This record gives sequence, structure tokens and C-alpha cells, in this order.
Amino acid sequence: MKLNKNFILHTAGGETVLVPTGSASFSGIVRGNKTLGAVLGLLEKETTEAEIIAAMRERFDAPEDVIARDVKEALEGLRKIGALDP
Amino acid sequence: MTKTYRIAEKTIEIASLFEAVHRLCADYRADGAPDFRVAITPHDLDAERARAAETVSDAYLETLAVYRKIAEIMPRYDTVLMHGSALALDGEGYLFTAKSGTGKSTHARLWREAFGARAVMVNDDKPLVRVASGGAIVYGTPWNGKHRLGANVAAPLRAVCLLRRAEENTICRITKSDAYPTLVRQIYRPADPDALRRTLALIDRLADSVGLYRLGCNMAREAAIISYNGMRGAT
Repeated sequence: MKLNKNFILHTAGGETVLVPTGSASFSGIVRGNKTLGAVLGLLEKETTEAEIIAAMRERFDAPEDVIARDVKEALEGLRKIGALDP
Repeated sequence: MTKTYRIAEKTIEIASLFEAVHRLCADYRADGAPDFRVAITPHDLDAERARAAETVSDAYLETLAVYRKIAEIMPRYDTVLMHGSALALDGEGYLFTAKSGTGKSTHARLWREAFGARAVMVNDDKPLVRVASGGAIVYGTPWNGKHRLGANVAAPLRAVCLLRRAEENTICRITKSDAYPTLVRQIYRPADPDALRRTLALIDRLADSVGLYRLGCNMAREAAIISYNGMRGAT
């Protein structure tokens, strides 16, 4: 899976936001916490949920099940707004 | 029909199906080699019709389609379309932005009433803003809202003010992070991903080069005075 090309990841003032182009049906902007920012960064290249969880475990000191749950939630949210290509 | 116009320091050739867009743009007629061209097809009108909230003429839809095409290209020239009411006071630009129906135009009218000839409307609905190296500049455009308020003028942009209705008039300076979501929503987001990337970079630069404020205001003339005093002396 990968970020849909109609969603642009942008970092401003240390904060990561995800902004849809004018041709996406979703018209809000996504501002996330550190976890979401990291997940979005990984989704700029083709990847899998397992790879994201593994990368997040290296980056964040949290139990695996917590990380897995956070990643799953983040991906579900992104899928809902059409920001993820399968 | 094809004519050339000068808008926000760019020479633009517009090839249209109807006359209306040329009447709209009459104050911006210019000669010379165009920086870019915009040509409308029936397909563009269909796309605008699908977006329109109410039934309007094809000639009107074409005016929207032309500006959309211009707004898609303008980020190449460090210029974005911003939804808001812009005026110049003593030659300095102030831009009020908020979602439709909040009272941007009303607030701009209060400034004109309070300051008389010192206040000049730049554009009451969709000005262009160029984020130049020396600072931001707001430009009048033919697309200036239902009351056609604005002129073919430009002013250095001193402040962008996020407006919301309130019982009492208050104004405070806000950070880039506070303003960012509204700026992204009120600035035209191109359909083209690369143009959007450039737009987001321009929003960053814009936020760094003007004063950013949040105004809570009512419809009394005092709102204009408080708003102006709050922004005077901004960067």
C-alpha cells in the first residue's frame, strides 16, 4: 500500500499535515500526532502494515501491541478518506 | 473568442466559448506575448456544472472555469488564489479570510465606512496573492464577488486576518500553526499534485511574511477600528 497521489504530505513548522489535491473527494486536512506523522512518512513509498509496525517499533519505545493498534487505527482512518492505494 | 489580459503581473491569453468572461475581465485588458494561455472546452463547463450548487448559465460557468485554470497555473509564479476580502488602507494590504457567510465582506465594508477614501477595495472575494522574495503582494482580479467590489490594483500584504463572528470585538496575533488549517482551506488547492506541493510551500512562506491575526467581530463600526488598531504595527 501507498499514499494516494492526490494526497500531499507536507511538513510545516515541525508539524506534518496531509493535504488533498483539488481532485480528491475529501477536502479537509489531516494533522496528526507523532505516530501518524511517522506512518505517513513511511507511506510515501510502497509498504505493508507489517513493515510499518516493524519500523515504528524501532522508532518508538512502546509495547508491540500498542504500536500495532495505533498503526491499524491510523491506516483505517487514511483508508476511509481515500488517502491509501491498496 | 480570444483576448489577452494582465492579472497579478502575468499576461494571460483567454480563449473562451462565450463573451461573458471577456466582459468580466475588461478592466484587465492588455497586449503583449502571454506568459500562459487558458482555453475552455465544453468539458470544462460540464466539470463546473457538476460543482455548482445551483443552476447557472454556461457563460457564467465559463467564468469560473477560466479562473480555476488560472489558479492551477499561478503557483508556478509564486502566486495563489485566496478566498477572502482584501483591501488596502494607506496603501497597505489587509486580507480577511473565513468560510463563506462569516462576514468578510461586511467587515471590509465597515473599514470603508470607518476610514473613507483611505481604504481601497482590492478584491472582495478571490484575490491573488504573490509570495515574492521581498514579501507578499495582494492583487485585484476580475473575480471579485457578487457585489463586484475591487479594482485592478496591488498592495503589499501586511496582514492576514482569520475572522469569526463574536459578540465582542477582539483581535489577537496567532502563530503560523494556529493559522495553518484555515490558510490551507481558504487557499485554492490545485488538482495537480505538483501544483499543490508548490502551493503548500507558498503557504509556509506567506505565513512567515505577513502578520497573522484572529479577529472575533460583530457588525458595529467599532469592529473596524479594533481590527485596524490590532494589526497596525504588524511585521
